[in-house]
Amino acid sequence: MTSTPTRAAELPPSAPQRSAVFVPGALGRRAVTALSFRNIGAVYVWLVIVVLFSVWAPDTFPTIITVKQVLNGNAVAGLVALSVVPPLAARVFDLSVAYTMSLTSVLTARFLVSAGLGPGAAITLAMTAALLIGVVNGIVVVVLRVDSFIATLATGALIQSLITMVTNDSSITGVQLLAKPFAGIAQLDAGGITLPVLYLLIAALAIWFLLEHTATGRRLYATGFNADAARLQGVRTDRLRFLTLVASALLSGFAGIVFASSVGSGSPTAGTPYLLSAYAAAFVGATQLRAGRFNAWGTVLAVLLLGTGITGLGLATSAQWAASLFTGSVLIVALVLTGGRIALPAVLRRRKGIPSNAGAEAPTESGTPPATSKEI
Amino acid sequence: MTGPVLRVAALSKRFGGTQALRDVDLEVAHGEIHALIGPNGSGKSTLIKILAGFHHAEPGAVAELDGEPFDLGHVTGSRHDRLRFVHQELGLVGELSAIDNLALSHGFARTAFGNIRWPEMERRTTALVERFGLGIDVRRPLATATPVQRAVVAIAAALQGWDGGRGVLVLDEPTAVLPPGEVARLFDIVREVRDAGASVLYVSHRMDEIFALADRVTVIRGGRRIATRRVAELTPRSLAELMAGEETETDHRPAPSAGPADPVLEVRGLWAGPLRGVDLDLARGERLGITGLVGSGHEIVPYVVCGAHAGPVSGRLRLPERSERWTEARDAGALGLPLVPADRAVEGVIGDFSVGENLTLPLLHRLRARAGRLHRRRESALAQDWIRRVGVRTAGPGARITTLSGGNQQKVVMARCLAQRPPVLALCEPTAGVDVATRLQLYDLIERQADEGMGVIVCSSDTQDLLALCTRVLVVRDGRIAREISGRDITEPALVHAMEGTE
Repeated sequence: MTSTPTRAAELPPSAPQRSAVFVPGALGRRAVTALSFRNIGAVYVWLVIVVLFSVWAPDTFPTIITVKQVLNGNAVAGLVALSVVPPLAARVFDLSVAYTMSLTSVLTARFLVSAGLGPGAAITLAMTAALLIGVVNGIVVVVLRVDSFIATLATGALIQSLITMVTNDSSITGVQLLAKPFAGIAQLDAGGITLPVLYLLIAALAIWFLLEHTATGRRLYATGFNADAARLQGVRTDRLRFLTLVASALLSGFAGIVFASSVGSGSPTAGTPYLLSAYAAAFVGATQLRAGRFNAWGTVLAVLLLGTGITGLGLATSAQWAASLFTGSVLIVALVLTGGRIALPAVLRRRKGIPSNAGAEAPTESGTPPATSKEI
Repeated sequence: MTGPVLRVAALSKRFGGTQALRDVDLEVAHGEIHALIGPNGSGKSTLIKILAGFHHAEPGAVAELDGEPFDLGHVTGSRHDRLRFVHQELGLVGELSAIDNLALSHGFARTAFGNIRWPEMERRTTALVERFGLGIDVRRPLATATPVQRAVVAIAAALQGWDGGRGVLVLDEPTAVLPPGEVARLFDIVREVRDAGASVLYVSHRMDEIFALADRVTVIRGGRRIATRRVAELTPRSLAELMAGEETETDHRPAPSAGPADPVLEVRGLWAGPLRGVDLDLARGERLGITGLVGSGHEIVPYVVCGAHAGPVSGRLRLPERSERWTEARDAGALGLPLVPADRAVEGVIGDFSVGENLTLPLLHRLRARAGRLHRRRESALAQDWIRRVGVRTAGPGARITTLSGGNQQKVVMARCLAQRPPVLALCEPTAGVDVATRLQLYDLIERQADEGMGVIVCSSDTQDLLALCTRVLVVRDGRIAREISGRDITEPALVHAMEGTE
């Protein structure tokens, strides 16, 4: 019986093909658990927030404009949040995503404005830089075996120095950035919904497909949960971790280009505000839908939840400090409400376990078979 | 002289359906090194854990320190002071220095402002460890010290604050983590502790250590005290007989394999860790046991064969049915032989995965549908098929693996290996932490696989596994195959003698 919530939690809402293997009678129960607070608590919190702000700011909040604002305004944040999901699934922290994002935004601007390149060439070069960052991160974390948390902070500092080199710490602006082909990347819209919302949708679809529906995704989760066991089953954990770092650099780099297009300038600090919210969304997302696993739709849901709250606070009050207060509170509440069964403790558990594992990973070498410790 | 320093009587302990200890008596006299010896699973560790207060004893047990009764299963002040423990894993923090490690249990010397008086700490620590020689740098992290230096720090930590009077130092298999060359130095240190007036209770399952060190020895087996003897009155032969018991007829006796040997695995000149040149041949349908004492190197063999050993390896192996070519041992991973690892929780299962996900992890490449998509329905069918075949008791493939009992988790691990249809199945400690009923099911499962022609390697330090399963057993001692026992000659005494080197 205890397994029922787990089983339901396993199923993303959009995997009807698996229902065939379960007893038909269980279908209704699974629907109940799929809609439980435990599974999609963020949706209910989100609804409460919507109602709350509709009452608090009845003239400005419950409007179509707010909907557009939330979607358009959080597409870039969503892209950055999604970029950290594949590494986190494999228990790799990429903290350099914010810097990568800033770098591609200023590089694209520089190439367009000073070098006089066309948008295609500028974007290609900027994405090449992002690719290189991913490879460097991969080398430092996977080949040189530096803990990813500190390693990507370090490469982030290196990227920051590059950004300063390119910009002298001031934004790059120019008419080329505001002109049609480039500006269109982020500013084209259909019915008030801009293109970045579409990019977010595509990225979420791609990551969802990768993590839920491919062997690679399963192996990524295996790597994140127990790399030793995964390796024994023939999972090439090092290669996967390397690739997730490349993927996160590319996606966050793309977010930087979208950002440059949407604001019409290359800002040296474009990415900085997105770092915390990206991790907040990824961790809140890991408590949703697939409790315990970093996943794409949970992350998107969390981005929208945070975005709605912040937008609402902006409309209802003029307090500047409200936004960060809200982000922090939601993160803590989401993690507490979902109890012990969530990804955050699982990840931290493994991290804490490192010193003791270092001593215990030698059973094969030091000749202390674990069996003796289990002796009764 | 006077009465015993430590007296335990009528000590029993039951874990669920297993009687771990039954009416055990133990007396440690003043100023003696008293050894406690018994095979794996005999109840040694349980006894020590009860003394240390980790487990409660069943009511009716008597325990006295120096004539004063104390409560078993409660860490009381008076006992804490007289009974000191050095546990098998030493209980040290490798990143910290000897000073810090000693202070963890005994506190830091501080000034009135609360900052640590380092010079005094250093003096205190040095005074404690220097009597043992070895030139330990008390300020360096212990991770950089040699194993015997760490053992000394653990002993010093246990002894600190000792008033020099009557008390017992309990050492739980302290040599398990030591390289052979350093064991003699540890013995000197243990004697030194005894000569300073303390008694030592020395837990071991190595007979040679008993003869080198102990004054008296208590043998336990199957949770009962078999005998307490003066070591001087014993011979290796007679001690081994006490440990192994009478030759008993086991009904679960496998028939020796008949017919021409049809090799499925050949290994030549294997060096890895403590292994020094191991050769082995495994025939179709054979159930080959590999065993030895802790540290002998037997537990490494399956890891090397499956290409999962972390350290440097040399030697070569081949699977004659698959190819005539020899493979270097360091490339053994390319042969793709599946392994049932020794530590299920750490290396075997992925606790956050479901039963099905654990089962299919190495089989995912077979479940590809179009566009790299994972064929979920086939995956589920595959998982359910194997759950049925090996008889896993679970709510279904979607249940989390950690909701299963140890034995059922082991069946999942085994099923995932079998699903790869390997010519050779390598098992490490296949029944560790598995209840008796499931154990028999696992034996049946393994036998069935062998009957179908698979070669099975059973690497176990549990003689029950070897007795019940194996048609042939290789006993590894000091990195070499010391003895090969086959068919009806596989008996508990024969195995114990071969492991201890007392033939």
